[in-house]
Amino acid sequence: MQFIQALVDGILLGGVYAVISIGLTLVFGVISIVNFAQGEFLMVGMFVAYFAWQSFGLDPLLGSLLSFAVAFALGVLVQKFLISRVLQAPPVAQIFLTVGLLIVMENLALILFGSQFRSVQTAYQMTAFRVGPLLLSAPYVFAFLVAAAAGMGLWWVLKKTWWGRAVRATAQDPMAARLAGIPTERMHQIAFGLGVGMTALGGGIILPYLTASTTVGAQFSVLMFTAVVLGGLGSVLGAVVGGIAVGVIQSLSALVLPIQLQNLALFAVFIAVLAMRPEGLLKRVSA
Amino acid sequence: MTVGRNAAAWTALAVVALAMPWFLEDQGYPIRVLTLVLLFAAMAQAWNIVGGLANQISLGHAAFFGLGAYTSTLLLMRYGLSPWLGMLAAMALAAVVGGLLSLPTMRLRGHYFALATLAFGEVMRAIANTWASVTGGPVGISVPYSEGSFVLMQFSSSIPYYYLMLAALAVATVIFAAISRSKLGYRLRAVKANPQAAEVIGVDTVRTRIVASVISAGLMGGCGTLYAQFMFFFDPDTVFSLVGISVRVALICIIGGVGTAGGPIAGALIMIPLEEFFNSWLSGEGAGYSQLGYGLILILIILAEPRGLAALWARARRLAGGRHG
Repeated sequence: MQFIQALVDGILLGGVYAVISIGLTLVFGVISIVNFAQGEFLMVGMFVAYFAWQSFGLDPLLGSLLSFAVAFALGVLVQKFLISRVLQAPPVAQIFLTVGLLIVMENLALILFGSQFRSVQTAYQMTAFRVGPLLLSAPYVFAFLVAAAAGMGLWWVLKKTWWGRAVRATAQDPMAARLAGIPTERMHQIAFGLGVGMTALGGGIILPYLTASTTVGAQFSVLMFTAVVLGGLGSVLGAVVGGIAVGVIQSLSALVLPIQLQNLALFAVFIAVLAMRPEGLLKRVSA
Repeated sequence: MTVGRNAAAWTALAVVALAMPWFLEDQGYPIRVLTLVLLFAAMAQAWNIVGGLANQISLGHAAFFGLGAYTSTLLLMRYGLSPWLGMLAAMALAAVVGGLLSLPTMRLRGHYFALATLAFGEVMRAIANTWASVTGGPVGISVPYSEGSFVLMQFSSSIPYYYLMLAALAVATVIFAAISRSKLGYRLRAVKANPQAAEVIGVDTVRTRIVASVISAGLMGGCGTLYAQFMFFFDPDTVFSLVGISVRVALICIIGGVGTAGGPIAGALIMIPLEEFFNSWLSGEGAGYSQLGYGLILILIILAEPRGLAALWARARRLAGGRHG
């Protein structure tokens, strides 16, 4: 029973990891860049949702939409003024540009918000739903539902709208997309905005059960990278599967491993996947 | 043609470095900064073996550094083992871990290698933070203090520390130069230029990369011990720091020139005093400002010249020389 409970908890947590990881994989799939600062956008999303709750009493689940909007705007600017300038540069430059962005964002947040931990109070924070012998924590369930809705919303945008099709065309063949009259630079900006926006939205919806701090980005980076690598970098569906798998691995390993080894378990999976199918990682499918 | 000039430059540098403590006040701020310059140059040189010769951008070298700091310090605290021996143990352990990590990661290139090593460093940090019964957890540990003892690698003057770090830098630089001229160096450069082609002509790329990462990790572990002995106190977030250690050593190399023996030295001479200046200038402003400045500089350098500051200088030199050529 304990096992099934952990499995269900893992799936609920994993749904949120999925939406966070979709953002990272989208950025890679369309722009071919690994954004090391992706976790910092999650942190931005958490703070936006926190301040929306503190100032207007907005529930973080709704505030996460605001998180998305702020991160989207920020992402468009970052792509326009920073990332676009290193697309043809060697990997070293790309890596250190986003690492530099990570450092700037984390420390800017530290200067603006201080180092204290912040958490919200919601009516459902301590409630749980009883389903047969299982207890489903309300914040987990709500976060999962919003994550699923956001994932489906993104899927709809990518599949059904002109913008989505244009973004996917840019990912598949930038040259052909340009010839077909698609402004690929604009598409890169939208893709980066959507990508970091999804991750920030994930930051908003976890706020009811996690505290916000300026260092939360690093905490989620390894999770996110593992999920994305599991599912294949650049694949949105893969990120969903990978995210849920990471949630389940994390939740199940908590049953058998002491806390200091749980991260190691996740890392072992990460390294094993990287080592066994490094060619699979290069597969680039968008949506 | 430049061998003679090179040798002369290195000799002059060595003489200046050896004579430096005579001109500086013992226990003063300048000698302390220079000691850190030497230590970080040594660490950057260790990174240079993997990053410069094999062209694999590691963002996880803090893992070996922290491992080294904790190994010797815990051996000293628990078993009274001299840090000199602790340093050997630290180097051995870091080398083994570096070798093990390279088994699954050596085939990865570019972003993937950076990702894997970054994750490894972060995992080590998480373990050090949570495994409080061994590491003391997030509050950190202090090296047991004694009033100057050679056996315990503790000195009441700053001069021995200076020479200790200078020796570490000399060892790392000699090893780097030796590797770079050896068969291993040629193999690494072949792997860097074109891994498939290197494999075809019979270079054992796998073994080559493992050897490089074992040596690099071992040196980094030794530097961890030296840091612990010099600082007397450290915590997981400092010694396993992504920004403070892993990114910093890589950046020092990139600024000074990746893949050259002089690069890490030039890079450390620029970066460390600059950071110290920023730190003291902004110390009144609270946490975050100096690292913010650091991140901004990093971004600006890359936007100005994506291949790094060394390339920027080369371009400036070409421009200056281009007038009559």
